[in-house]
Amino acid sequence: MRFIHLADVHLGAVPDRGCSWSEEREKEIWETFRRVIADIRRNPVDLLFVAGDLFHRQPLLRELREVNYLFSTIPDTRIYLMAGNHDPISRESFYNTFVWEPNVVFFREETLTCVKDEKLDVYVYGLSYHHREIREALYEKAEPRREEGMHILLAHGGDREHIPLNVFALSAKGFDYIALGHIHKPQVLLRDRAAYSGALEPIDRNDLGPHGYIEGRVVNGRLRTEFIPFASRSYQQLILSLHEETTQLSLEDAMKTEIFRRGGQNIYRVILQGLRSPDLLLIPEKLKKLGNITEVLDESSPAYDMQALYQRYSGTLIGDYIGWFLNHGMNETEKKALYYGLQALLETSRTSGK
Amino acid sequence: MIIRRIAIRNFGKLHDRTIELAPGMNVLYGENESGKSTFHTFVRSMLYGVRRQRGRAAKNDTYSSFEPWEDPTSFGGTLWLEYGGKNYRITRNFYKEKQLGEVLCEDNGEVRKVNGAADAIFENVSEAVYDNTVSVAQLKSVTGKELVDELRNYMAGYQGAGDCTVDLGRAMQMLKMTRKGFLAQEERRKREAEAEQEKVSSNIEFVQKEIWDLEEKKAQIEKKERSLQARTGDSIKEGDSLLDQGIREIREKMLLSEAGVFAALLMGILGIVFLPGIYGSVWVGVSVGAAAAAVAAGAVFLRLRFAREIRIRERHKTRLVSAGEELKWKKEEISGALEEKRMALDNLKEDFLECEGEKSRITPEQGEIQALNLAMDRIESLSGSFSRQVGGRLRQRTSAILCEITGGKYRELLMDEDFQMWVNTDLKTVPVERLSRGTLEQIYFALRMSAGELLCGKEKYPVILDDVFGMYDEERLSAVLHWLAKENRQVILCTCHEREMEILEREGIDFHKVSM
Repeated sequence: MRFIHLADVHLGAVPDRGCSWSEEREKEIWETFRRVIADIRRNPVDLLFVAGDLFHRQPLLRELREVNYLFSTIPDTRIYLMAGNHDPISRESFYNTFVWEPNVVFFREETLTCVKDEKLDVYVYGLSYHHREIREALYEKAEPRREEGMHILLAHGGDREHIPLNVFALSAKGFDYIALGHIHKPQVLLRDRAAYSGALEPIDRNDLGPHGYIEGRVVNGRLRTEFIPFASRSYQQLILSLHEETTQLSLEDAMKTEIFRRGGQNIYRVILQGLRSPDLLLIPEKLKKLGNITEVLDESSPAYDMQALYQRYSGTLIGDYIGWFLNHGMNETEKKALYYGLQALLETSRTSGK
Repeated sequence: MIIRRIAIRNFGKLHDRTIELAPGMNVLYGENESGKSTFHTFVRSMLYGVRRQRGRAAKNDTYSSFEPWEDPTSFGGTLWLEYGGKNYRITRNFYKEKQLGEVLCEDNGEVRKVNGAADAIFENVSEAVYDNTVSVAQLKSVTGKELVDELRNYMAGYQGAGDCTVDLGRAMQMLKMTRKGFLAQEERRKREAEAEQEKVSSNIEFVQKEIWDLEEKKAQIEKKERSLQARTGDSIKEGDSLLDQGIREIREKMLLSEAGVFAALLMGILGIVFLPGIYGSVWVGVSVGAAAAAVAAGAVFLRLRFAREIRIRERHKTRLVSAGEELKWKKEEISGALEEKRMALDNLKEDFLECEGEKSRITPEQGEIQALNLAMDRIESLSGSFSRQVGGRLRQRTSAILCEITGGKYRELLMDEDFQMWVNTDLKTVPVERLSRGTLEQIYFALRMSAGELLCGKEKYPVILDDVFGMYDEERLSAVLHWLAKENRQVILCTCHEREMEILEREGIDFHKVSM
């Protein structure tokens, strides 16, 4: 027996509006879902679990037909499908009347329902969201049936507004696998027993790291699961360390090299850290043009020896300025303010030699 | 503070050199490159250490420039001075592998270790204060105009910040420029987000219009349906409609007419058969028969008409039914499209709200702008309190010094809020732009001296004048030397000319000569 567990496909989402890659990403989200199905067609799995939020918003009829068509191309796979908090079954929802292919099981109710697979001794438990928020712990009372076979719970949510749940308690009740959705970062909660597959494709700049689906197979009577990276690209954090020799151009070069190494198709959030030369006037805006960059965060600070400067300038305005900040305890903004002011004062000061 | 003696072990081009200094006027006389500025740097380094720059800057820092050519491991020396009524001996070695710093108070034997590289000896005389009081170097400004600007900046700095060590105007300008950059980025980002939202909103309008069009089409179809129903009745299919009733009535009439034909024919035949027998006349029978035939013929004619009418009405009915079905089909299609569009519209409205969130997202730029604002606030409030303390005193003291060193020619330095400066003679005020280079240097000197006094408070510091009087004529030089001698502080005059000494001798001012 082999299955694929995926979730949070968010078909129809427009990631990072206003960024140059936004439109392409919108297409890629559909394309990657199509690729999953195409792979299943070539190498069929028995079961496909979609643990909610297949759509980013209420699906249009046209979109449901497209998805249904894709499902029709893998007739040997049974698909277990639920609506999540992004595409709940509202009163107007097309989910209400849509007729799915015979190989699709759609959990229509907002109460937990169990369906026995038509070919295997597998029992699948699931429900659909009918509301955007459900604060009730609907999965709490889930109980696997006392039947021989594999019991798999399809669950979406896990935070306060979206069906809070305790995975460990649920697993202890005897579910062989809990296929979770809602949280976009893939994470195994219990090895081979419970996992968030994460979003199939990252949906926006906050979905850092690899994305894909989870593949499960029964080997020697035991279920083994594995995360398969499948997204066409990823959002990554790119940390560049500055030192006193760093210049704008050397930084740009280092960044280009790193982006080339990690893949130019990926989308980066650049974070500058370390100590830079106090004379270096960085233009972070220029870095944004060197690739798919969401933002450049400058956390580096000029390499001032603050205590020494304080001593050196005590009794003057610069000294008082430094002193004020040193005595205040500094948060990020105050630290930056100190550096900005100090840089300006030092640059324009007329100490010795005039 | 009085520097009593220095013993240079190894420092730049000087080694094993001891120089005694007098508490009053000292003249360090030597050709160019004889080590006057090395002396200067040595004193400073003994007091504040030699700070190594990092990175690229290290190649030209003090350490590298004054590292001894021979025997670099003994890089430093000893300095004896008097400060706050006590005598101290400061020994330092700057060599990076063997840094050493020691301060011995000769009066009570206390020994203090200091970091050879950086630590200052006296906490209340910072390097910046030292640079602005003790050492006065030759003016770099070449032209009179530059000198006027320099004066003005200096005064402006003082007026604004109460502190001649910073150029407040330029510093604030720099911060404002940086902030402007971030504000522009922020503005651009906001505009982009708004443009995105605008796109969504025009999509909403477009879909909304499509919905209205579809609704209108649907309404038209419904209107047609209603008028059709008016003609056909409600239930066209069940055979109960107005059309069907009409057809039924005609069919009844047709049946009646058929019955009429039979009845007339029967009457006619009966008449022909029986009437002659009853009435005995053939004519009666014939005439009845003829009448009956006429009636039957009329009835047949009617029946044919009714039959044709039914055919027409049935064709009409079929047409109307199919028209009704077409309308219904069309209506269903439009309703489907409407549902789809309405769903799309709802989704777009959510997109719109999502854009709203994106617009109010906190960006890195906002943090930078906040930090810059804080920096400017701090500088402004600090300089405010500074300048209130000392702004007025500076001008008074500068005026007093100026008056003395010009022999009373210029009594006062005046300044308006735009930092235009004048000097007041006995007779009139003269804008500084009109003054000679020599006078400007005098004003600058007076300013430096008074600013220094204000910075260091009670203790009198030595002043090291490094070739400052090059532009002074004899009269001016003599006046300024008189003033310096009178001030009761240690003066170290570095010069490569002999005329300072000539004037000092001529004027009978005591001085100690050091030949480099």
